[in-house]
Amino acid sequence: MQRKPISYRRQRRRSEFLWGWAFLLPTVVGLIILNIYPIFYTIYLSFHKSGDFGRNNIFVGFQNYAKALKDMQILKAMRNSLLYMLMEVPISVALSLVLAALMNQKIRFRTVYRTIIFLPMVAAPAAVAMVWRWLFNTEFGLINHILGKKISWISDPKISLVSIAIIGIWSILGYNMILFLAALQEVPNDYYEAAELDGAGKAVQFFRITLPLISPMIYFVLVTRVIAALQVFDTIYMMMDRTNPALQDTQSLVFLFYRYSFVENNRGYGSTIVVLLLLITLIFTVLQNYGQKKWVIYD
Amino acid sequence: MKKLISLSLIAAMGLSLAACGGNSGNNETKKTSEAAGSSVASEAGSEASEKKGGEAGSGTTLAVGIWDENQRAGLQEIMDDFTAESGIKAEIQVVDWANYWTQLAAGASGGELPDVFWMHSNESQRYMDNGMLMDLTDRIEKSDKIDLSKYPEDIVKLYQLEGKQYAIPKDIDTIAVWYNKAMFDAAGVEYPKPDWTWDDFYEIAVKLTDKEKETYGLVIAPDNNQAGYYNVIYDYGGYVISDDKKTSGMDDPKTIEAMKFVDKLVKDTMPPLQLITENKEDGLLLNGKVAMAPQGSWMLPAYKGNDFAVENFDIQVLPNYNGKRVSIYNGISWTAAANTTKPEEAWQLIEYMGTKEAQQKQAELGVTMSAYENTSDAFVNSFDKFNLNAYLDMMNDMVIRPYSRDTVTWEGKFIEHMTSVWGGTEEMEEACKAIAAEMNDTLAAEN
Repeated sequence: MQRKPISYRRQRRRSEFLWGWAFLLPTVVGLIILNIYPIFYTIYLSFHKSGDFGRNNIFVGFQNYAKALKDMQILKAMRNSLLYMLMEVPISVALSLVLAALMNQKIRFRTVYRTIIFLPMVAAPAAVAMVWRWLFNTEFGLINHILGKKISWISDPKISLVSIAIIGIWSILGYNMILFLAALQEVPNDYYEAAELDGAGKAVQFFRITLPLISPMIYFVLVTRVIAALQVFDTIYMMMDRTNPALQDTQSLVFLFYRYSFVENNRGYGSTIVVLLLLITLIFTVLQNYGQKKWVIYD
Repeated sequence: MKKLISLSLIAAMGLSLAACGGNSGNNETKKTSEAAGSSVASEAGSEASEKKGGEAGSGTTLAVGIWDENQRAGLQEIMDDFTAESGIKAEIQVVDWANYWTQLAAGASGGELPDVFWMHSNESQRYMDNGMLMDLTDRIEKSDKIDLSKYPEDIVKLYQLEGKQYAIPKDIDTIAVWYNKAMFDAAGVEYPKPDWTWDDFYEIAVKLTDKEKETYGLVIAPDNNQAGYYNVIYDYGGYVISDDKKTSGMDDPKTIEAMKFVDKLVKDTMPPLQLITENKEDGLLLNGKVAMAPQGSWMLPAYKGNDFAVENFDIQVLPNYNGKRVSIYNGISWTAAANTTKPEEAWQLIEYMGTKEAQQKQAELGVTMSAYENTSDAFVNSFDKFNLNAYLDMMNDMVIRPYSRDTVTWEGKFIEHMTSVWGGTEEMEEACKAIAAEMNDTLAAEN
């Protein structure tokens, strides 16, 4: 009589185990096929001179890497990607934080503002790029028309990256804002009431209560945005033509990866570029992971 | 825990990269209106084959891939005739030039090409070499409608490998100069004559250039090789690539002389590079910013649909150099995927598009000039507002568009250098020599 419950329990544990995996399976399979396999295949390719249409790859060791690290174009693209990240992330995070704080107040037309700021997230990137192309056009663009100047926003090597960053900031503002808003609404009102009783002004409240309490969300946004910003591609791809004089000073690593892998069919070299990007991204993420201990407050 | 976080971050990174690639594909699909490229094409294909189980004859729909939106309407009309005759439907899907090759390559790697599609000399060698295209040799031999001797030999050869024929020529294109009559009138310059030389050309372009008013005599974009500077190179007796495709001709003294002349045109008669890239050659012509531009015959559908162009534009043959007047020419072709589920239907469509009737109609509709011999008169008569005869006259001395197996690779570098020359950051002669060196490397790696 003692044995039965045990085997019963064992059986149940086994069926729970199977069911658990059954539920996990779709996600795991998806991850393996869409993410994990491509990552390793990319690394594999980066050590090869790739043949046409994915056939006849020849192993070349670190040859691609040696070439890439001496390639001025790639080093410049690395610089462009980093500069873009340094412009887009801090500005968009700071601005969206301020916007979120404003949108968290009880002001008129709040939902209208929220919708307008979130709108760029919903618009198709291709359509967005078409509109910005026209806005930035030197000769016929709206921005220059209003300014009464002739600034070559996207074809002057000195400012084209800034123009791309402006688009980047504009498109991501709404998304960051929604995340911050969600975090802000989690902050209990009691803290503010207590602070007011103690005579703290709005600014002090923001820096002493709001910021620390939403710091986990700020950390999350920073990490994901840095990764995404280092991968900037679509705006550049759609704004810049291959004859653009500013191309060399604007193209990002992913843009070069695309060009080598898909236009020139040099998958091996393209993969090398993207593995280099992976390393850079890892370094930044690890640094942020160490840094967060100093400023992120978990309750 | 930390490991878990970093692992998940890596995964997230990969995900966003993958999403990045996927997205851009989708956008392009949207941009080029409805269906686009190989992935969609193959969907349409498999749908159709499910319905019909791959059996030949009526009801089957072929996915057809092309890259020029301007030609869609005309080609669809011809294919409707084909459908009426055979009962096989053909659905044209347009993807713009740059993305066409990206999607086609992806489709080729994944085994999902459209059933019938356009092939170009820049890429044909690689596709044939890797067995991506259907071998048409036997079918052509048995066909009573197709006789390869009726098409220009050079174009037929572009789609040949080791004695096998993989495609049937669709069209032929030549180059001529489009000019804005109103701007000639305003500057008091006579319209160009057929016997003009490149020096006359330069002088006219200078007269038409008014940098204060920001109007210019000429535009040739740095990536306009076929309709632009390649023609000058061959007029001057230079060459881009040797006949055996083993060496570059870009460091040949005559080539350099020609390119230095082009450089003079860039500096004295063309708009700044940023204006060219932002608005493109046709944009500048159509906005009245620029008076002349050499353009391929494939541009006709774009200009004849524009009121400003119809009212103001006309065409003249290219200038000559000491009596030598070469037009670079090329011809794209119809080909089929080697692994199509409907080889018989695909062949029927290709065969039909190659017949004299279909090619005649293509020219009559003004889609492009046709590859089939003596059908191009119809092209000249397709539109009477422009002097289309110029394109026909340019057929007297033609050089096939320079190509090798990896054309795209060296062309990419070529255009990069030209962009810096146009932008004023590189000297033309240095650029040509650098191109020659890089081209020779690429060509050496081909064999």
